[in-house]
Amino acid sequence: MAKVLIIDDASFIRCTLKAMLERNGYEVAGEAVDGIDGILKYKQCSPDIVTMDISMPKMNGLDSLKEIIKYDPNAKIIMLSAMGQELMVKNAVINGAKTFIVKPFKEEMLMKTLTKVLSV
Amino acid sequence: MSQNDPMLESYIFEETQLTDQLENLILQNENSNNYSSEVINEIFRIMHTIKGSSAMMLFNNISTLAHSVEDLFYFIREQKPKDVDFSSLSDLILESVDFIKVELQKIKSGDNADGICDEIIEENKNFLLKLKGENAYKAVIFFEDDCEMENLRAYSVVKNFDELANEIYYIPEDIIEDDDTGKIIKEHGFQLFVKINKSYEEIEKILNQTILLKEFTLTHLDSYEEFEQARKQNKPTLTENPIEKFQIEKKENVRIENIPTAQNIISVNVHKLDQLMDLVGEMVIAEAMVLQNPDLNGLKLDNFENSASQLHKVTSELQDLVMSIRMVPISNTFQKMHRIVRDMSKQLNKEVQLKLIGEDTEVDKNVIEHISDPLMHLVRNSIDHGIELPAERENNGKNKIGVVTIEAKNSGNDVTVSVEDDGQGLNKEKILKKAKKNGILKKSPEEMTDKEIYNLVFMPGFSTNENVTEFSGRGVGMDVVVKNIEAIGGSVSISSVEGKGSTTTIKIPLTLAIIDGMNIKVGDTYFTIPLTVIRESFRLIEMDSIININGNEMVMVRGECYPIIRIHEFYGLDTKITDFKDGIFIMIEKDEKYICIFVDELLGQQEVVVKSIPNYIKNIGTIRAITGCTLLGDGNISLILDAGWLISTVNISN
Repeated sequence: MAKVLIIDDASFIRCTLKAMLERNGYEVAGEAVDGIDGILKYKQCSPDIVTMDISMPKMNGLDSLKEIIKYDPNAKIIMLSAMGQELMVKNAVINGAKTFIVKPFKEEMLMKTLTKVLSV
Repeated sequence: MSQNDPMLESYIFEETQLTDQLENLILQNENSNNYSSEVINEIFRIMHTIKGSSAMMLFNNISTLAHSVEDLFYFIREQKPKDVDFSSLSDLILESVDFIKVELQKIKSGDNADGICDEIIEENKNFLLKLKGENAYKAVIFFEDDCEMENLRAYSVVKNFDELANEIYYIPEDIIEDDDTGKIIKEHGFQLFVKINKSYEEIEKILNQTILLKEFTLTHLDSYEEFEQARKQNKPTLTENPIEKFQIEKKENVRIENIPTAQNIISVNVHKLDQLMDLVGEMVIAEAMVLQNPDLNGLKLDNFENSASQLHKVTSELQDLVMSIRMVPISNTFQKMHRIVRDMSKQLNKEVQLKLIGEDTEVDKNVIEHISDPLMHLVRNSIDHGIELPAERENNGKNKIGVVTIEAKNSGNDVTVSVEDDGQGLNKEKILKKAKKNGILKKSPEEMTDKEIYNLVFMPGFSTNENVTEFSGRGVGMDVVVKNIEAIGGSVSISSVEGKGSTTTIKIPLTLAIIDGMNIKVGDTYFTIPLTVIRESFRLIEMDSIININGNEMVMVRGECYPIIRIHEFYGLDTKITDFKDGIFIMIEKDEKYICIFVDELLGQQEVVVKSIPNYIKNIGTIRAITGCTLLGDGNISLILDAGWLISTVNISN
């Protein structure tokens, strides 16, 4: 069972994601509320995959991504972006994010993405 | 050709030498099915030089072509790939060589070097790609509906291939900068072109790793056309392939090491050599005029004699040296034959081996130019008409590989070049039939010797080959060969054994300008006979030796009869010496035919400079049996007799 770390400042999102993931056989290894928390939690629970929100207080998803990848170059991070955040998403992909999903998204799309990223 | 441009002349000379060198290299090595590293390096070096020189002279088509061959051989040299198809490679290089040769010809004649070699360049590139194990693919990728920012997803795909591929192009291009490309990709798919050393299945696997992939099509490209089109529409890829960068650096090093070594040969304008020859000729005449000056007659001048002898020694040496400068070994011409043999045997599906004997025989440069084409024609004839197909040869108990032997040798004042083949030989019936058909048959066949029958093939309008092939047999070949050879004073003969083979022999006088001659006098007229045709000279002892048959005077010498030509009669000259007992007989021979000429007196042997009959005399008409004239030491003009002509005026029945 694959372990997922959810990094998002909105509790509603975290809740929905958790439900989705558990429904599909994933284990939510941890939840972080901002970029810095995210780095911490990554080091703590060593997840197989990470979902990362883009705009967060204290440290945004892009910078958090960069730090996590510095720590673990093999980190599998999926960016969850809102419309209009194209530039950030591009930067994220250039800096090592495996892929991205644009909100609002269908559950199916997220699951397909997770499967693919984990299989590589 | 513009003779005012020394740089252009030098370029043409250099490039011609290089292409000949390259061609010989290929021909020598292609059968061994492997090129040694020296050969590979040599080919690389030659193409590198051609590329650079041509670029400098702005002959860009040649330069680009040379570059593509250079790249190919750079790879072979550095990577030493196994399983290289050297046979196809040889053909490929020869294609490039031929193109360059044609362009050089154009440049020589002052035309534009406007040849298009795109196809050959493409073939070279493809060969290289195959060597690299490289394949070209086109993929069209569609992402899941509503996945958003398809352009960025496409970017991820490109990143996946970036490290692995040698070249990547994609449409649309601006996937990072231009977000509208996302819409294009959504509608038309993302087109990806890669050149990569991986198999179809491996590419499929990589593509299947694309996240939120809906579907894709993958095609293995056979030609690189689509690729080139994509490239033309494209800017360079994301990151430079690190391997390519490395190769470029390596190339720079090679360039620095490649300094040409100085050679001990310089090229000289043939014009200057001609002038030098003329001048030496004048010198010989002037020397004679001094040493044989009438003022010295009867004087005994020991000191003078010594100095004269010294002078003669020096001028002789100078003369020999100048002759030798103009002498060129015939090997160059011979080597060209390899190519012809190779191409023809391939085309006609015959197996032919070329043997060369006497390659270092030296011939005057002038003569080489006149020998080249006739020789090629004779070789073509041998392969086309002479050598049979391998199956036929084996049926007749012959080795299935036919042999064409070209031999050159010096015989006195002549050079003999013969082309011999072990093919089917000349068929007398066929020849007679054809000659009759074309109205060339002058004698009835029963009266003709084998030699005369064979010589029919030299007549204009003759051909025994039913189908006029691309190579020979148009009936304009052999007689042109003969004409060209006779124009420089030579002769052609042919002999054959049916079923065994044929030999065609070309004889050409070695030196054209200075000959050893025997001066004679008839009445008040001086003549010179080339020493080479003189067999002996004698005075008549008994009138019994003279026979008269039907008005034809003949002389008996050691049991043989020889026709007599009275030179005074031949030219209508007044002389007191008309009685055979008062004059001298000289026996001359050409082509194994002998006659005796009757003259007043022998004056002595001399090296004479042959001058051609001046035009104002030639324009009036040809003087029978005179090939030129010379200036004697005492200032008199002497006419040089043409033995062949004299002999042919006599009807000889052997």
